[in-house]
Amino acid sequence: MTSSFLLHIQPAKVHKHSLKAGYSLGLGLISLYLFFILIGTGVLLMFYYVPSTDRAYNEMKDLQFVVSAGLLIRNMHRWAAHLMVLFVMLHLCRVFYTGAYKHPREFNWVMGVGLFLLTLGLSFTGYLLPWDQLAFWAITVGTNIAGYAPIIGPKVKYLLLGGNVVGQEALTRFYALHVIVLPTLALIMVAVHLWRVRKDGGLSRPDESGDVIEQIPLGQLPTNKSYGLMELARGTTPQVGKNPEDEVFSWPHLVFREILLFLLVAAVVLFLAIFWNAPLEEYANPIYPPNPAKAPWYFLGLQELVSYSAFWGGVVIPGLLVTALVLLPYLDRARAGVGRWFARERVVANSIFTICLLAAIVFTIIGTYFRGPSWSWVEPWQQPPAITEGR
Amino acid sequence: MNNSMRTFYGWFTFLGLVIGGLVILGYYRDEYREWKQYQHRFIQEEIRRATTPQQKALAETTRVEVRQILLPELNRVDRCTTCHLAVEDPSYGGYPQPLAYHPLHEQHPFEKFGCTICHRGQGSAATGADAHGSVPHWDQPMLPMKYIQASCGQCHEAADNPAAPELARGQQVFETSGCRGCHKLGGVGGNIGSELDKVGARRSPEWLKQHFLTPSAVTPNSAMPPQKFSDADLDAIVLFMLSQTGESAPGYYASMKVIPSASQGQRLFLQKGCIGCHSIAGQGGKVGPALDDVGLRRAPEWMMQHFRDPQSVTPGTVMPKFGFTETEARALTEFLLHLRERNVVSSLPSLMNPVERGHEVYRKYGCAGCHGLDAKGGVPNPNAKTAEQVPGLIYVADGYTKSELNTRILKGQREIPALDPKRAPPPLYMPAWGAVIKDAELDDLVAYLVSLKPKGEDVGF
Repeated sequence: MTSSFLLHIQPAKVHKHSLKAGYSLGLGLISLYLFFILIGTGVLLMFYYVPSTDRAYNEMKDLQFVVSAGLLIRNMHRWAAHLMVLFVMLHLCRVFYTGAYKHPREFNWVMGVGLFLLTLGLSFTGYLLPWDQLAFWAITVGTNIAGYAPIIGPKVKYLLLGGNVVGQEALTRFYALHVIVLPTLALIMVAVHLWRVRKDGGLSRPDESGDVIEQIPLGQLPTNKSYGLMELARGTTPQVGKNPEDEVFSWPHLVFREILLFLLVAAVVLFLAIFWNAPLEEYANPIYPPNPAKAPWYFLGLQELVSYSAFWGGVVIPGLLVTALVLLPYLDRARAGVGRWFARERVVANSIFTICLLAAIVFTIIGTYFRGPSWSWVEPWQQPPAITEGR
Repeated sequence: MNNSMRTFYGWFTFLGLVIGGLVILGYYRDEYREWKQYQHRFIQEEIRRATTPQQKALAETTRVEVRQILLPELNRVDRCTTCHLAVEDPSYGGYPQPLAYHPLHEQHPFEKFGCTICHRGQGSAATGADAHGSVPHWDQPMLPMKYIQASCGQCHEAADNPAAPELARGQQVFETSGCRGCHKLGGVGGNIGSELDKVGARRSPEWLKQHFLTPSAVTPNSAMPPQKFSDADLDAIVLFMLSQTGESAPGYYASMKVIPSASQGQRLFLQKGCIGCHSIAGQGGKVGPALDDVGLRRAPEWMMQHFRDPQSVTPGTVMPKFGFTETEARALTEFLLHLRERNVVSSLPSLMNPVERGHEVYRKYGCAGCHGLDAKGGVPNPNAKTAEQVPGLIYVADGYTKSELNTRILKGQREIPALDPKRAPPPLYMPAWGAVIKDAELDDLVAYLVSLKPKGEDVGF
């Protein structure tokens, strides 16, 4: 099992640099483990959940009050989901700051950006399923932001919701997306992402120039391969094993570390799930919006931008950011500074990225903590103004 | 075994122990449930009280498990009996909660109605705090027992229910205090205040109480004048408000809604036009017999049969078979039996004079809410030119013709002249009643207003 499975989805030998915890911080692997935990707990939740506006909320209550370990599983799912969004973001930052998106890993970076968007999609679609006030209004706000895009925006919103407002159709669609479409896509893309890591020669590291990267011209069968799946072959061959003196066996050096990291992730998620309950507010009520109605935390920076200008904040800026992320490895082709954190040679790129990142963090913090009723400025340490129309 | 291996195994052991500990902790927290202690207490009590070995064996084998009443039609599940295990056992009368007996409602069997339909709270919950509902994110806390009759009013007509006198009193306070002048309930009323059809589902008793005493404390800039209710009236109207949840009872429950009471019978009597043939106190038709003393002449069973099929008890009678339901027949019977105790004549609109009918219209639309009981005025309207009060209507006949009064009622007056233009405009204004009031009602109302002027008095405005 170990040698036939674990050592086939990853190489038998890995470069010592890949094992340095201080380099990768294990962020990608942590994201993957969180994804596994989400699949496991998600399947358990599916045993009880019914995607009906009449029943979904009651099922949440049943999980809490009568199902054995129901609350624990739901908590694990909720916290693992938030953590996964966070760790995928951190992973993206790590790859940027170490310049790891550069040749030959351009395509894998694009896959990574796709996985980041998929992760947001998975979290966002899952957000609606409890059908409480939090879910209803976060999705209402979130899909309204999507609706600001010119021409296609309203169509996309209508397609997502199956109508103009969040209702049974929206719940059905979000459920299908959340349990089938997006996880399947994510699994496929994770597989490609991991395969590309091997294909691209393991994790990025400094001085890869010593590795011989054989460019195989189009249409010419590589002579060092005994077979190919397509006659038309082009690309690079696996680079692993070219520098045997710097490599160690995956078993136990890599695999043991991986298992330890999994145990750590599982322990943290369990700990959070035991001591903090996932939120569940009142049954969704389209007539009484909470004031302010807020999107999920990872969209609050966006919501804050939208409060200045729906078009610029909701469409242009996020659109440009995603486009820039996708095109990044094809625009920034300099080879210097790969495989080191904050390499001096990459000070310009790192500065631009840091400014964008800080802006995103600042806007998210403002949206989360400094916005009160009607999106007015409040300071979190002040008493919130009395809401008079409440009970 | 080399050094790095040893470190690995150390970490494996450590993290394994941590996860093991967390799993045990999670299992314990999941396994410990508040309700289990109550079930154990109940089983102990049952064992203690057992007098025969069979009873004891039965008690000992009682399963510790969640108990629930499934109410799919009401879209709820009530798990109250998970802790309140003895609600149906009279021998537990007077026991401390949660093991107390609940007096049986013959008309509302627990297995059909559950608990929360009357008591509110969170039926699906299985901990005391959550179930009793005073927790964040649950807007239906348990109804204090003081207001429990509000639940009767969710389904039943307040006046029909002899078991809910507080509810009837609340409705009476509501109808006589002029609330409808500003608030709509069941589509009838003004539009200065908010609609009240679902107010009982939204507001807590504390909120409502505060709202009546000092409206501006809970709704800043409220136009509503503070109300001077007696304590009993205040509780009654809060209770009546709590009964207005706007929930419609489905299927089986809807069929149980009508209580065949004398007041329901009286409404039927008027609706079905019985007065066309029969008379009461000399008023009405002469085709059928007078009904004043029918309660003395006929037995209830006879009346029931008479409503089902008049020919079967009075062969050759001209009274048609109306096809009353059993409930309707019982309500009419009840009405006829209690005819002498009820002031029926005054409630027959066709038998009242226009001024009396106009007074009813004045009450019905809540004019009293602003213009005062019997139109004497005195309700504060800050910054209104008319002495910062809504004017009384006693002397309107001196200032307006009938057609001017008509127009004023139909069109209303949105802008009330201010005493001091720099201050906020007066909050109360005259709504337009054109879309609401019926022509005949308007004529009667004007007749009533004109009649208000004291006889023989001419102050010459």
